[in-house]
Amino acid sequence: MSAAPLRLAGRDIAHRFGPRVAVRPVSFDVSAPGVVAVTGENGSGKSTLLRILCGLLRPSRGECVFEVDGRAVEPRRRRLFTGLATPELSFYEEFSAAENLAFAAETRGLPNAANAVRLALEQVGLTPRADDRVSAFSSGMKQRLRLAFAILHEPPVIMLDEPGSHLDDAGRAVVEHIVQTYGPRALVLIATNEPREMALAEQRIELSGRGLERTA
Amino acid sequence: MPNSGSNSAVAVWSVLRKECRTEWRTRYGLNAALLFAVASLTAVSFAAGRLGNRTDIMAALFWIVLLFATLASMSHAFVREVESRTMLLLRLVATPTEIAVGKLLFNLLFLCVIEAVTVPLFMVLMGAPPVRWGQFLAVLGLGTVSLAASSTLVGAVIAQTRGRGALFAGVSLPLLLPVLAAAVGGTREMWAANSVAPSLKLLGAYAVALLAASLLLYDHLWED
Repeated sequence: MSAAPLRLAGRDIAHRFGPRVAVRPVSFDVSAPGVVAVTGENGSGKSTLLRILCGLLRPSRGECVFEVDGRAVEPRRRRLFTGLATPELSFYEEFSAAENLAFAAETRGLPNAANAVRLALEQVGLTPRADDRVSAFSSGMKQRLRLAFAILHEPPVIMLDEPGSHLDDAGRAVVEHIVQTYGPRALVLIATNEPREMALAEQRIELSGRGLERTA
Repeated sequence: MPNSGSNSAVAVWSVLRKECRTEWRTRYGLNAALLFAVASLTAVSFAAGRLGNRTDIMAALFWIVLLFATLASMSHAFVREVESRTMLLLRLVATPTEIAVGKLLFNLLFLCVIEAVTVPLFMVLMGAPPVRWGQFLAVLGLGTVSLAASSTLVGAVIAQTRGRGALFAGVSLPLLLPVLAAAVGGTREMWAANSVAPSLKLLGAYAVALLAASLLLYDHLWED
């Protein structure tokens, strides 16, 4: 069996914040390209699992495998290969949308930052508001900016945490467009309970529990 | 595929530029620091007049003004990221070391700007005797590096804790006492026309130790 260009696997991954169980043990093995839905009840740990997968959080238990071209990527380098859009992601309010993305692109060391920013804004339909400060944005526009941030560096793994939140129909169409555009060439993970977003996925990682249990 | 060879120098430069642009647009720390420096110097000047012959008091006053003018503002370098919830954005685009070094360079720049206003103002209002510029700038430079390094390190450590404000003062004090003691001693000796070498050695060693410890610690700071 030939090695997949990108493979993401969890072996008995679990996480807890103090006494609270955040993610119950879960195992999976997915590879690019493809679209995978991460589902589960509110509080089952979908967002926490995404943070673990992109290297922001070390799981309390289990192992996360992140392989590119058959070589393991250590947690601190996973951000280079990952685009994350999550409700927890905020931008600098005193900067415009374009300035926020330009900062991200330049810090990531993208060779043509200005072009990357222009393309990302175009894809989420924010070009007309590119120079407006984020402080003037609605919730939906901020959500579009999160999506632009996730695809800015054209990563091989795109993680979308509740991508449709705050979005109108046009915004949801943007989400679908991103998934359809990047699904055939990247690994797209969508943490959601929305039937419309779940329908975009070919596979599913189902999380159990509600994250509300407390153990002694 | 992403640009996996993300250049650290580029990232540090980008963080530094972002800090400068944020400060320029919000004037979050600059106005407060300058106001404190000008107000405190003016108040002491009105109350005590010119202190030309009391170089020991002037040395202490000079560093106290500098310390309080800058410290409160510099602690916000990380706290502001946490409170405006932009820390996640930063962590996704740069390593903790790149973020911290960018902020350290900003704090250094910030201190230099404050000093550019405070030093001449202090000399005029306090009636300070002529300084030996080489020695004075050496003490000031090393003191500045130590102040910036310690406040950046403490700011990074306490950023994600509760009660950040109170904690900053508590954790900073033991780190800053050696800096203050050496800087005040060096400035006093400079005015007294004595050797400032012992103070410079202490300040230099402390600055190097702080920077080394910071670089070792930064990458492990925000591991959950």
